[in-house]
Amino acid sequence: MTRRAAAGAAAALLLALVLASHTWAELPRRARVLAAFAPKELAVRRLGGSGTAFDRRYFSFLENVRRSIPPSAKGVVIVHVPDDPAHVYLANYALAPREVTFGFATNNVRVSGVIVATYGPPFPPDAGVLARFPEGYVEGPFP
Amino acid sequence: MTSFLLPLLRTGIALLALAATGWAMAGKFVPPGPRFHAERIGWSYALGCGLLIAFVPSSLLIGARPNWIGFVVLAALAIGLSRSLAPLTLPSPPAGGRGEMPLGNPAHFEPPLPAGEGRGEGSPTRVLLLLLILLGVAIYALRALTEPMWANDFIAIWGLKGKTIFGAVGYPERLRSLEFAHPEYPLGLPLLYAGISFLTGRWDDHAMALIFPLFQVATLLVLFGWLRRRGVSAAVAGLSAATVAWFEPLYSGFLTGMAEVPLSFGILLFGAALVDALDDSDGGALRRLAFAAALIAALKNEGLFLAVAGALLALIFGRGRRWKVALSAFGPALLVRALHLPWRSRIPVADLDPGLFSAERLWDSLAAAAMLPGWPAWAGLGLLLTLIALGDRVPAGKRLLLLVACAAAAYVVIPAFAVRGPAWLIETTLLRTTAALAPLAAAAVAVRFPGR
Repeated sequence: MTRRAAAGAAAALLLALVLASHTWAELPRRARVLAAFAPKELAVRRLGGSGTAFDRRYFSFLENVRRSIPPSAKGVVIVHVPDDPAHVYLANYALAPREVTFGFATNNVRVSGVIVATYGPPFPPDAGVLARFPEGYVEGPFP
Repeated sequence: MTSFLLPLLRTGIALLALAATGWAMAGKFVPPGPRFHAERIGWSYALGCGLLIAFVPSSLLIGARPNWIGFVVLAALAIGLSRSLAPLTLPSPPAGGRGEMPLGNPAHFEPPLPAGEGRGEGSPTRVLLLLLILLGVAIYALRALTEPMWANDFIAIWGLKGKTIFGAVGYPERLRSLEFAHPEYPLGLPLLYAGISFLTGRWDDHAMALIFPLFQVATLLVLFGWLRRRGVSAAVAGLSAATVAWFEPLYSGFLTGMAEVPLSFGILLFGAALVDALDDSDGGALRRLAFAAALIAALKNEGLFLAVAGALLALIFGRGRRWKVALSAFGPALLVRALHLPWRSRIPVADLDPGLFSAERLWDSLAAAAMLPGWPAWAGLGLLLTLIALGDRVPAGKRLLLLVACAAAAYVVIPAFAVRGPAWLIETTLLRTTAALAPLAAAAVAVRFPGR
């Protein structure tokens, strides 16, 4: 076998290996997902995507918080959220450019101009609640 | 479909405008003529993206909100400035040389192609390879655009910074100390995201993923065009481009949104321009090298390392041009890092500690790296080494392989400094960081088969 033929065979094998290593099975699913979600708004597309798969209810909470934040809010304190990296990263991203911090008890985090978003029940009485939704509620901004 | 298609169209128009601006500037970076056409398209996209990256901080520094008017003004200035540069020169072909002779200093190039060889326009092989490349691009586009960008590092680092810069119309102080967002990383990609959002008027992390398949297309154009210009046949150049187009460890849904895809493009531009500059292939090589060095330094920390490695290669192989080439490789990269000083990190790097390095940790790192790839990856590496052994000893190929080796060595050695242990950093980063070397490695290997 000449050097040229050997090189051609090696190159063809390499291409075949790259093609064979492809995750072909996911392609029809991707096409279906794209077709199904493309007509929906951006937040719904993210809700149905891979980045929120670890806790979709949490992203729904963050999106509701984002929509209820008044422009005057200086930042957001999120309460009763697991402090693992995935929850921390997603909150910072979803609520950007606002500063996000995490607290454990609503009473300790009432800072002037800040919104407090509590994930999950128990729901307080209506007084002082800016917005409530199935996944939690928002208080503030505090004077 | 309008929820997604309209923003996608807006993003596409913005990217087209960037590429058109880049095209207008590219005449002073890439020589004219059909041999440079494919490369010029790829370089146009790079120049346009680079201009947008520079545009955002420039606007913020003068207190203006980045918008189309500002971008058009900057683009006009940049085009005017590039037009004022000296025209590009091409060295004359040697006496008796044919039109097929690769451009540049003939002493450094392989002999011209035999008449008719490497041609065969419309041959079944070329058509098949073209279809394969187009299908590879289409499949990556599907992967990239299936859903909003979602990778952990996009959410925590690149996207977070871009969205914050866009939303805050500035760079808030807290980003300099937000440890998980790696404030020590350069800001090129977040600025590109923010720039696209300023131009389209909204943050749309789904439509913006269009940037990535276009990076792939630009990479393939530069790879194919550069190999053809270096005397490689259309079949070999096409095979090389097809293999890269289908390389899923790089062009995956997971890496869409992260820095590896644009960096892989930048590294290819840098490597190709470096060997062009060393060979004095044309008057634009040094300019291309300087731009590519700045681009890779703006995208990731290892960009500066690669610029240093390229400068050292220039000092070793550059002969009479060594200082000129080394300075073009290193100077712009250093300048870009200096420009980051106003936004530099306020906290020490948390993941790495130089004091932890030891021979034992280096060994652990090597062992973890050896355990990581599965059999297909080892088989692929074996085939790559076979191709290197079977190829000719082309100086350009040797230099590019050295650059690839420098980067790969760094990716294996740096985990020896990792606070959480070498194995942790190897397992979390090595496959994707080394995947970014694929286009440059493809160029390094294929260029060893000139005229075949």
